[in-house]
Amino acid sequence: MPDLISYLQFVLAPQMLNGLALGVSVILVALGLTIIFGLLDVINMSHGEFYAVGAFGALALSALGFNYWVLIALVPILMIPIGVLTERFLIRRVYDGGDRHVSTLLLTFGLGMIAEDLLKIVFGPNTHRPENPLPGATEVLGVFIPTYRLFLIAIGAVVIVAVALVVYRTRLGAMVRAAAFDRNMAASLGVRVGWVYSGAFAFGVALAGLAGVLLAPIYSVFPTMGHDFILMAFTVVIVGGMGSIWGAVIAGVLLTQIQAISSLVISPVWADPIVFGVMVLVLMFRPQGIFGRIGHA
Amino acid sequence: MHDRLDISMRANHVFFWILVIVALVFAAFASFSGDVFYLRLATEALILGGLALSIDILLGFTGLLSLGQALYFGIGAYVSALVLREEPSFWLAMGAAGVSVLLAGIAGGLIANRVRGVYFALITFGMAQVVAKVVYNSRELGASDGLIGIPVIEIPLGLITLSAGDPLGFFLLTLVIIALLYSVSAYLLGTPFGRIIIALKANEKRVPYLGYSTWAARMAAYVLAAVIAGLAGALYPMLRGFVSPELLFFATSGDALIMVIVGGAGTLAGAIWGAVILTMLKSVIGSWTEHHLIVIGLIFMSAILFMPKGIVGMLKPFVERNLLRNSARQPKPEPERTAL
Repeated sequence: MPDLISYLQFVLAPQMLNGLALGVSVILVALGLTIIFGLLDVINMSHGEFYAVGAFGALALSALGFNYWVLIALVPILMIPIGVLTERFLIRRVYDGGDRHVSTLLLTFGLGMIAEDLLKIVFGPNTHRPENPLPGATEVLGVFIPTYRLFLIAIGAVVIVAVALVVYRTRLGAMVRAAAFDRNMAASLGVRVGWVYSGAFAFGVALAGLAGVLLAPIYSVFPTMGHDFILMAFTVVIVGGMGSIWGAVIAGVLLTQIQAISSLVISPVWADPIVFGVMVLVLMFRPQGIFGRIGHA
Repeated sequence: MHDRLDISMRANHVFFWILVIVALVFAAFASFSGDVFYLRLATEALILGGLALSIDILLGFTGLLSLGQALYFGIGAYVSALVLREEPSFWLAMGAAGVSVLLAGIAGGLIANRVRGVYFALITFGMAQVVAKVVYNSRELGASDGLIGIPVIEIPLGLITLSAGDPLGFFLLTLVIIALLYSVSAYLLGTPFGRIIIALKANEKRVPYLGYSTWAARMAAYVLAAVIAGLAGALYPMLRGFVSPELLFFATSGDALIMVIVGGAGTLAGAIWGAVILTMLKSVIGSWTEHHLIVIGLIFMSAILFMPKGIVGMLKPFVERNLLRNSARQPKPEPERTAL
């Protein structure tokens, strides 16, 4: 029996906490994806690159002497104009050309390729390791957990709740949900749908940028850092229900816990196929995911 | 019968014939100058053209976006490699690869055809990822290194025997195989059943009202595309002497998708043209900068924004007009049948 308790305390609990830190990070990236899909019907294939741009932005600005805590607010704000310009001048152009899903998916796929190579040109292909703003570890239940991970879980939870409150409890959020539910009806009620679209896309991009800043101290920063991460985020979005915020949160926590706990039992390299397998199964039997999408109650 | 689809398909043939002539002229030049590198590269371009062709059958004709077509390309390549390591027989390798992708295509089709639209794109993506990760982690399949040391085979073709190590001979053989895959696809899409597949893209809701099963048509298109991708993939280890898990990754599917869009979706010949153009372009750009992604990405994005029909799709109306004029001059052999 003491063996079991110490197993829980020293093996399982830290693993689950680490999984939770990863889960919060994935949810931050997935939130942007799911909002963009729920509202604009756009699968943003360049989302991983926006995440990388956020991380590199933090790296470059901290080299200029900006304090890390300022960057957490500054980088997402700087991402907003990037998002607005992308939506206005690129994505909007192909909304009505044939199948919107296909054309926007392909366009953002191309955009991601260009963004990735631009990062390589500007910052070089090497891996950067930004300084950890909260070094050291904190004791939780007799186990030492890196302080920054605890901070990440806390701030992630705050951001997630704030986003949900904005979308579900404010007038702005109501406009967004109305535009997602019925674009023409919302427009005739005076919602400026064009700006809601740009705003929502920029908001999603800003969230990706925020995730980039927050994760830079844990994961290394390199031009293709978005690749692996975005696959997990896509899975979370699909399992949770494309366009559902709470779905993304629940799926994000569940999937990263499956990954964390299964890596205790089997080799961690097999966790990836399991997670993607879950994604395929959900798509087969419940393609709309666990929850419905924004604006569709 | 000269209805619109028929004229359109004949215009595709014109573009394919131009490709064949260009390829033969190139082969003549290359053998004259004793080139090996560009012949090998052109062979690879044609092989990737087979993968692009299979994506075009789905995207351009059935209206299904597959983000995981590399799955079947990779299965074909791996099965071919495994067979060749045991028994260096061309026909056995092609046969085994063909049967394996047929079965894999049926299994994948049963999974993927449960959903439509954007979910179809994501489920094909997910299936390819699962298999790619499993292969990547399986030591029996060479894990991340892939399978190396595939012997150079002798290919008996009735009267003559060709070596896969002979760049010119293997290039011509690949050209013949891709031409066969193209012809079979074009023929099947022209049959009444093929037209149900095309009708799916035009208006899927109406097809059942005409008394046809949408599921069967979609399934047939999916399996056909899988087999074409797999047979093209089976040629890959013969050319390069190895296979690696990268063949199954999204990068391979994504590259082929770019080829289809740049060449022209829904034109069959455009997919192969796109493969040739992009492979050559990558090699040229790659010789003076390592940042070829940005150039390819810019070309791809401009194609989507300014030339959504692709190169062949843009030039096709001129050819169609000529074909229509010619067919109008001839007396009609039979009364016009209404299109599906």
